[in-house]
Amino acid sequence: MRRGGAMAEAGRGMLKALNPLGKLVVCFVWLAASVLVFDARFQLAAILIPSLALIVLNRTPPLVVLALMVPFSLFGFGFLTTSVLFRQESDFALRMAGESPLASPAFSAGVTLFLRALACGMISAFFALTTDPGALVRALMVHARLPPRIGYSLFAAMQLVPDLAAEAQQMRYARAMKSGRRLRRLPGPGELVSLVIPLLAFAIRRAGRTAIAMEARGLAPDAPRTITQAPVFRRRDAAFVLVALAALLLCGIAVVVDPAS
Amino acid sequence: MLSDPQPPDTSPAAEWREVEVSYPFPKQRAAGPVSLSIGRGERVLLLGPSGSGKSTLLLTLTGLIPGSIPASVDGEIRLFGEDAAKRKAWDWASHVAQYFQDADQTLCGMRVEDELAFPLENRALPEDRIAAHVTCIMQRVGLPDTWRNRRSTTLSGGERQLVALAATLVQDAPLFVADEPTAHLAPEAAGRLHALLTEDGPDRSVLIVDHRLEGLIHSVDRMVVLGRDGSIIAEGHPRNVFRERRDLLISQGIWCPVSCALDAHLSEAGLEPPVAPLSVEEALAHLDPEAAPREDLAKARPAVEAFVAASTPSTSDAASIGPALVELRAAECAPFLGPTVLRDIDLTVHEGEILGVLGANGAGKSTLGLCLSGLLPLKAGRRKGAPGGVAFQRPENQFTGGTVIEEVLSAMPRGMNKAEKAERAARALADWGLAGFELRHPLELSQGQKRKLVLATLTASDRWPLLILDEPMAGLDARGVATLVAEIRMLRDRGRAVAVITHDMDLALRLCPRSIVVGEGKILADGPTRQLMQDCALLKRAGLAEPSCAGAVRWLKRVAAC
Amino acid sequence: MPDKRGWTLRETLIVTVLGAVFAVLYLGWVQVWLIAQAIFGPVTMDVVMGFWFVVSIVAASIIRKPGAAFVSEVLAAGVQILLGSPAGLLLLVTGAVQGAGAEVVFAATRWRNYSLPVLMAAGVGAAIFSFIYTWIRFDYGALEPGLLLVMFVLRCLSGAVLGGWLGYVIVEALYRTGALAGLAIDHAKRSAAA
Ligand SMILES: Nc1ncnc2c1ncn2[C@@H]1O[C@H](COP(=O)(O)OP(=O)(O)OP(=O)(O)O)[C@@H](O)[C@H]1O
Ligand SMILES: Nc1ncnc2c1ncn2[C@@H]1O[C@H](COP(=O)(O)OP(=O)(O)OP(=O)(O)O)[C@@H](O)[C@H]1O
Ligand SMILES: [Mg+2]
Ligand SMILES: [Mg+2]
Repeated sequence: MRRGGAMAEAGRGMLKALNPLGKLVVCFVWLAASVLVFDARFQLAAILIPSLALIVLNRTPPLVVLALMVPFSLFGFGFLTTSVLFRQESDFALRMAGESPLASPAFSAGVTLFLRALACGMISAFFALTTDPGALVRALMVHARLPPRIGYSLFAAMQLVPDLAAEAQQMRYARAMKSGRRLRRLPGPGELVSLVIPLLAFAIRRAGRTAIAMEARGLAPDAPRTITQAPVFRRRDAAFVLVALAALLLCGIAVVVDPAS
Repeated sequence: MLSDPQPPDTSPAAEWREVEVSYPFPKQRAAGPVSLSIGRGERVLLLGPSGSGKSTLLLTLTGLIPGSIPASVDGEIRLFGEDAAKRKAWDWASHVAQYFQDADQTLCGMRVEDELAFPLENRALPEDRIAAHVTCIMQRVGLPDTWRNRRSTTLSGGERQLVALAATLVQDAPLFVADEPTAHLAPEAAGRLHALLTEDGPDRSVLIVDHRLEGLIHSVDRMVVLGRDGSIIAEGHPRNVFRERRDLLISQGIWCPVSCALDAHLSEAGLEPPVAPLSVEEALAHLDPEAAPREDLAKARPAVEAFVAASTPSTSDAASIGPALVELRAAECAPFLGPTVLRDIDLTVHEGEILGVLGANGAGKSTLGLCLSGLLPLKAGRRKGAPGGVAFQRPENQFTGGTVIEEVLSAMPRGMNKAEKAERAARALADWGLAGFELRHPLELSQGQKRKLVLATLTASDRWPLLILDEPMAGLDARGVATLVAEIRMLRDRGRAVAVITHDMDLALRLCPRSIVVGEGKILADGPTRQLMQDCALLKRAGLAEPSCAGAVRWLKRVAAC
Repeated sequence: MPDKRGWTLRETLIVTVLGAVFAVLYLGWVQVWLIAQAIFGPVTMDVVMGFWFVVSIVAASIIRKPGAAFVSEVLAAGVQILLGSPAGLLLLVTGAVQGAGAEVVFAATRWRNYSLPVLMAAGVGAAIFSFIYTWIRFDYGALEPGLLLVMFVLRCLSGAVLGGWLGYVIVEALYRTGALAGLAIDHAKRSAAA
């Protein structure tokens, strides 16, 4: 038990410590495959492998992984209903009368679409949960020659998102104080909509200030610069890419070899 | 780095020649015309009332105005002998480190560690040296290691200012420009920073803009004073300016050190100090109770007593306190989305009371203030009493209107008729020196004007039985402070309660009969301000300092003992 | 007139920050859509689609430079992925397609005209592009032609109203807050008023 804990600890560190670009490439390849391979079993594999990796290696609680699946499944469910109800050749009513709907091609196509949405979601979740956005931007600047101005703009935008909540709260305080109404713990939909424009204005002003701060402290468009704590490519990144692609290949082969069912 | 010509370069570090700035809207002069130069290694202090164009001038220095902020600039600006406009703002970063008036304008919103490394990364220093510099500056400024991974926006106002200062100091540039660097700092932290600003040798030129500078005034070589119209009205060594031009400064609403008042009192008694004093101790140096002639001491005593009386609350203030207005019982307070920072708070505010709230940076004063007003729900415990109004620490957070006048009107009581609202708003704006700014956007004001607008809005509407003012002095000029003190006393006389969160010990002593000291996650002390200020152990523990009149009080005691 | 050629740092930051804020709004909209879809059925997607084009309209009419529409939409997609959008990494492609659709319309005016009709046309442009994309991605060829036509018309309408018109309303409201001072839109309005 203790051993397992230690291993998981190492694994957690491992996934997080991997080079974000390696992960990005792997995830894109898997995504491309799940879009191209139109097979329910393959999609199942593309759901299970990232989920298991998250649970075992990253020690994400299984409940969290399940909860992550909920919006993706809702999303996928839309495809399921569209393809079952509106497939041209499927003539839904007739089939309903005649044969079991589960065997209809429309339904299995729908299931595959549903699973595909889930698979794309889980692959992305795998990436998002194991990657620090700052590290990704740094890696992009070092290895993908992303211009620093754009890199830092991305960086600033990502840092802004968590501040929006605090800023919205400040606005709510000021309004509640002036209107003399009690502040509700959570804003209602009407209040949320009324906060959109002030928040956008805040974001634009903050962008202007950040631009001044960055220029005053020497962010030049084209001068050489150091990028500290930039992720490097190590052997384990290569290992990760190889393992992930091998797994993809195996799944693909399994589907091709046994096309019967 | 500098393209020095062969003979040692003696051109000034920075020079404004007949510079005049106007923003595109409204088309009206915002700064200047000013000619000013900062010599190499010189430390210059720039003073001036709110809106006289100090911040605007500093922004023109490396071309951020008009490069990034649209405005028209006339005249010439030279940096280290070069035309400043020849290079872009970012190319000057290795020569000029700029601390802007607003910490949020200095910082880019990243994690503290990244924030400090950023200017060095831009200069392409090797990674290990960057790491060493960052660690070093964190130690010098006194930033705890646990902040490294915190985003600067989750810090308290003063903590953010410390980080911003560290981020500019780490640039280690030959010219350091700071716009009100210590406005939100507690006395202990402010002292540490003043030491840092002046400890570097003679090759560092420093230009500081501030309204109150008790701690730094000694180390300044020259001061320059801007008048209301934006032109220079006085210039010279602080000692001379403060003694010779005192009346002019006061008439323009500009701050003078406390020692100035004592100097005046003593001069009236015919005991003028031989050199113009910059601190209370200096003012009394020639009147050593053991050494000075008896008759001099006897003559000086009433003068010093008058000075002390003016800086402490009169005893009648405490007498008129009414019933309890707002109570916190066993309260636990946490900032929005933050951890619990205060536990077990029991606090009562009475009608007709002015309560001082003191404490180090990050002690939880702003959080306590929000909880006291009822805006921020408690984590545990109870709050009893009517909701209160708050002047937030960052004035920008207050604004909901599109123009200044809208902003003032938006806070007026709802039942009031239109004409009265308009009349009251106009009077408030005139009192606070904001007449003529009615149609401006609140965010296009100077920092001090923003603060004045917030205070004018809250005091004019007189809607809340309890007002909480979070660092109302930060960024305010002397005239603003005088208006504020008068308004607070007026509210008190009408039976309102006012809680003032402040780092200004002199103000707390003068204005608040009772204070609480916040620290270590609780209320460390609660009692008469005068007593708290005499408890040296408490002041030290809470990161505070004694008020500047303490030296005079001690002197009186020693004279009495002799 | 501000510099026509390159983007300033402020403009770059504004476009990315707009991308980030709208990413948050888009994510909220996804929930609206999912709920509506459960109630009203699959065609809902086409009705609500226009809102996902709005950032390109807003960014373009504020910055008024080539690329603003495209870049902002891609960035919004990127931030949504990092925030965990249900659509996943593929959203980047979706964003690029939609942004390109709006950009094409602005390019047709040589990035000079940002009046309401042009903004609505840009919304329709994004709708057409995105319709082609979803056609390919979800195999629309297999659907009934009548339904396809309804979906197409709905999506174009949604692009014009929820994308173009709403974008216009947002920009006007933003302009009144004074946050856009000194940007291209400010110059255009001031010189038009003068
Ligand atoms: N962005 C802006 N647009 C238009 N006017 C402005 C803007 N910023 C400042 N002003 C105006 O320019 C004048 C000078 O402002 P500035 O901020 O330089 O004053 P200051 O001397 O720094 O004052 P304070 O002591 O309050 O900081 C003020 O009247 C102010 O209202
Ligand atoms: N969102 C947050 N997340 C984590 N910690 C926070 C957050 N907001 C505030 N804090 C912490 O809570 C503490 C109290 O903050 P508060 O703003 O009340 O301090 P303060 O006494 O007003 O300080 P100052 O004098 O600097 O304004 C600080 O240590 C701050 O770092
Ligand atoms: Mg200023
Ligand atoms: Mg505070």
